[in-house]
Amino acid sequence: MSDTAHADAHDRHDHRPTGWRRWVYSTNHKDIGTMYIVMAMIGAIVGTATSVAIRLELHEPGIQFISDFQFYNVLVTAHGFIMVFFVVMPALIAGFGNWFIPLMIGAPDMAFPRMNNISFWLLAAALVMLVIAGLIDGGPGTGWTVYPPLSNADYHPGMAVDFGILSLHLAGASSILGAINFITTIVNMRAPGMTFHRMPLFVWAEFVTAVLLLLAIPVLAGALTMLLTDRNFGTTFFSPAGGGDPLLWQHLFWFFGHPEVYIIIIPAFGVISQIVSTFAKKPVFGYLGMAYAMAAIGVVGFVVWAHHMYTVGFNVETRAYFTLATMVIAVPTGVKVFSWLATMWGGSIKFDTPMLYAMGFIFLFVVGGVTGVTLANAGSDIAFHDTYFVVAHFHYVLSVAAIFAMYGGFYYWIGKMSGKQYPEGLGRLQFWVSFVGVNILFFPQHFAGMAGMPRRIPDFPDAYAGWNMISSWGAYITVVGAILFFVVLWKTLKSENAAEANPWGVGADTLEWTVESPAPFHTHEQTPSISTQPAE
Amino acid sequence: MTKQPDKIKRRTTVTREPKTRNGVTAVILFGLVAGMTGLAFASDPLYRIFCKVTGYGGTTQVAEAPAKSKIVDQMVTVRFDANVNKLLPWQFKPVQNTIKVRLGEQAIAFYEATNVSDKPIVGTATFNVAPFKAGEYFNKIECFCFTEQVLKPGQMVQMPVTFYVDQSIIKDRNTVDVKSITLSYTFFASDDQSEAEKLQTTQFITDEKDTIISREVVPKG
Repeated sequence: MSDTAHADAHDRHDHRPTGWRRWVYSTNHKDIGTMYIVMAMIGAIVGTATSVAIRLELHEPGIQFISDFQFYNVLVTAHGFIMVFFVVMPALIAGFGNWFIPLMIGAPDMAFPRMNNISFWLLAAALVMLVIAGLIDGGPGTGWTVYPPLSNADYHPGMAVDFGILSLHLAGASSILGAINFITTIVNMRAPGMTFHRMPLFVWAEFVTAVLLLLAIPVLAGALTMLLTDRNFGTTFFSPAGGGDPLLWQHLFWFFGHPEVYIIIIPAFGVISQIVSTFAKKPVFGYLGMAYAMAAIGVVGFVVWAHHMYTVGFNVETRAYFTLATMVIAVPTGVKVFSWLATMWGGSIKFDTPMLYAMGFIFLFVVGGVTGVTLANAGSDIAFHDTYFVVAHFHYVLSVAAIFAMYGGFYYWIGKMSGKQYPEGLGRLQFWVSFVGVNILFFPQHFAGMAGMPRRIPDFPDAYAGWNMISSWGAYITVVGAILFFVVLWKTLKSENAAEANPWGVGADTLEWTVESPAPFHTHEQTPSISTQPAE
Repeated sequence: MTKQPDKIKRRTTVTREPKTRNGVTAVILFGLVAGMTGLAFASDPLYRIFCKVTGYGGTTQVAEAPAKSKIVDQMVTVRFDANVNKLLPWQFKPVQNTIKVRLGEQAIAFYEATNVSDKPIVGTATFNVAPFKAGEYFNKIECFCFTEQVLKPGQMVQMPVTFYVDQSIIKDRNTVDVKSITLSYTFFASDDQSEAEKLQTTQFITDEKDTIISREVVPKG
């Protein structure tokens, strides 16, 4: 054996599996990343369909076509679950993360390639479970927060909620395995010279996100298990009949749920930092501040959960603390927004589609951030609780902003991923349609919410008719933008417009641009050496 | 490009060691996950202890009879509220709607429960006070909610609760504005119906009309 055999084996290393085996058995970080992105696109189609059904129902006062209100609740629930767990997380965390963490830190693949495969297929199984949940026993109409008593066996006696819980268990296991993989890769497999303080901000973002996942998801899993045993095996964790307390669920859920919103948005921060730096042709302003701002957001994100539940009757000190702690988050977030603007300031900015999306992201995120500070106040939140003001707020920050980061990341990296460059004109048109659409969709919801329009109700008084109709039209425009995106995708993949290794020029100085486009099946087999400061 | 022999050499030296390093990292991270899962489950008992100790969420305190010397002249109105879970076929109401007591003074109030079904049922009551911030100062000495109640078909019972409101409620700047406290109970069908089943089997021997006085009291837990 020995050297010759070893060399032979190495020669065959470039052999790539073909057909269905390439995907189903995949241990290649790029293929798995691609599968996550495709899954997110499928999820996005379903998630968008549910939201359009909601907006069609809310287009006018009265009941349009959803006369079964449980079905309306199921739509709201499905929209939330799918968008969070099967669109944003697979695309931003797992999709771009799998593709670009190894490429950016100079590693040949993830630390545990087989575990990577399991992560993906667990998520696929979770999606199947969620679909089953929606189709049996009337579906889970609990909202994504799954509060008992609504989610207990008295009000949801069928198996729908149980399937929903198992779906989240699988999705959680998938995320935990993925997070362990990411952290191990980033900690142990950086190329020589790629110190933590030289890592691209996208890798920093994924690292912070993975740590948050590791700390938050087990709490959700524990709470879901308690709910499952409450529903099926007679325990009373959340049932007062046996000495439990439904509020305990809210505490546990939001202990997971608040970090979860940062889990969604921090990878978006990473993507935006790469894009802004590339297109301003400048290193990111305040690189270390940007990295530690994300870490700070992650840490503080664990001690603010009760601002989601101001109305449960906390005493005044508790509310004061959670108000203060929540507002503290505006500081590192402000550091990030400031640094993005400072990066653009004096830069030689090229307004290509990814940059338009990055600037759109910053705008949307700031609007959502401002309403976030409004809602952080326990006093005003008690008035705004469960109104469309809250809906507008969180859609600005973590739905539309996250989607814009996904769009931006797609345009930024599609050349590297597919080897084809997207059509620039169509891309810009797609941006503007989407940007106009989402603002018409969500901005009026602030006004409806301040006037008292409640969440999760399929009907509303005539007083709210105007803003709701405008909002619905915005939704239809946004859908046109989404369809345009698939047109862009189709044209890109069919085009002859081969992408260069680095289509963006001097601003794009991270390692993924040093490999050819499309990125070969195996990259960085020769460990690159980092001698200069790359990321900034 | 480095030469081929170099490459092989580097592969053998580099790959072994990181593999164990990756393993160690993964074990630590899995430990973290296990720890957080454990914490999630530990939160249930911890939460109960927290509520009991702090009176959080309007959890009332359990106490011995207060010292006579601690009574002050300030009055507080205590209102009584009664609810029944929809799965329990009982009627449940306070005998008196309000009581005015001096702070620190022991008082007694009665609730009345009737089993309107045709079978014996074990019920258990949960309780709190509103405003929640008064929970810390609301002390129960004796309460029907400390035990489970068994009611025969058609049986009606009056159940006492003895309590006092700690006079230090006026020393706390958060609660100094509290002029009335609502004590609220909700009756649920107990998960453990074995006492009711015992009654059901012996029911034909006893006279069904022995209402009011005879009341089965089963310690909770």
